[in-house]
Amino acid sequence: MLAAGAGGPVSAEDLYHEALVRLAQEAVGAGALPAPVSGAAPALQGSATVDNPLCGDRVTMEVRVEGGGIAALAHRVRGCVLCRASASLLGRAATGLGTAQVEAARGALSALLREGTPPPPGPLAGLDVFAPARASPSRHSCVLLPFDALQAALRDALARAFPQRDTR
Amino acid sequence: MRRPVLAALRADLAAKRPVVLVTHLGTGEARPVHPFDGDGEGVAPAVLEAARLAAQEDQSRAFESPEGRVFLRVYNPPVQVIIVGAVHVAQALAPMVQLVGYDVLVVDPRSAFATEARFPAVPLSTEWPDEALAGVGLGRRTAVVTMTHDPKIDDPALEAALRSESFYIGALGSKKTQAARRERLAGRGFDEAALARIHGPVGLSVGAVSTAEIAVAILAQVVACLRRGPAAR
Repeated sequence: MLAAGAGGPVSAEDLYHEALVRLAQEAVGAGALPAPVSGAAPALQGSATVDNPLCGDRVTMEVRVEGGGIAALAHRVRGCVLCRASASLLGRAATGLGTAQVEAARGALSALLREGTPPPPGPLAGLDVFAPARASPSRHSCVLLPFDALQAALRDALARAFPQRDTR
Repeated sequence: MRRPVLAALRADLAAKRPVVLVTHLGTGEARPVHPFDGDGEGVAPAVLEAARLAAQEDQSRAFESPEGRVFLRVYNPPVQVIIVGAVHVAQALAPMVQLVGYDVLVVDPRSAFATEARFPAVPLSTEWPDEALAGVGLGRRTAVVTMTHDPKIDDPALEAALRSESFYIGALGSKKTQAARRERLAGRGFDEAALARIHGPVGLSVGAVSTAEIAVAILAQVVACLRRGPAAR
């Protein structure tokens, strides 16, 4: 893995290393989810758009939940390479994760960016592709934005499935 | 004015297409002529040329044509200056554009910059520029100036402008920035002639130092291109 020193400047070559650029170009999961089939059992589906007011990055995430885990997701990203790579990684690795696991993944990513903590093994091991961004604190939000969008989309799915009812 | 003529004029204005109503003062016959993108629509070449000049100068006038005296009534869509990047120069430029009497729109997806507090009484959009510009519609009376210095925001705006008939395209940035930008846009398939439409470094050379002076230089260049045509550099 690339050494990522906190504090020292990071070159563009280090930040946008080959694996990261390839991940962004693959854009796994880019697009939109098909509309739920009418007549079928109502699926838990939600969406959310979040943006970074300082750099303009914008992520729209759609998610379908089945059996407590993510059955499918789709994203549309307007943003930099870091942001697109992060969304692509979710497209590749987030299927099957539950809400708590997504939260843990975001926590692991944040810890990696802030403290350099290696991500745990398993589906999240791929997070270390973002290790070089540790040296660029202003770019951390670019990496985290798709995760924020996914969490918001999951909340939206739950809110749609369980709208508040008046209690009698 | 006859109803079909009125409907045609309204359709042109909605599409932001300049149109000149040519009325023969002897017969009263009136017909809309598109001075820039029509085939002449049956009027004499001299009339078409006069209509073109009248539209360019925004001046309705009578004209002695070979077929008799005609009146050229110019219906131009409003000039609109679209500023991409809610930056300091934009804060100076936007109210200047309004003072001159043109429409203005400031586009910046960075919602921390495109705020009403920074741009009082200025129309704002926090959409991405290509989406915002598609919504607005670009025509012969549109000017586009990019100012963010961030390729991911500026480039989509420039691509949309280059694919349109916008009378003015400007890009803030040093000569070095411009060279890198040209290379990127060439990679996206724009040829030399297209890239030559971009004014960059932006603005007339007036020795501008302050942000407001840079805004003056840009607006002066916009006016020159509007009134003198693309030849004004």
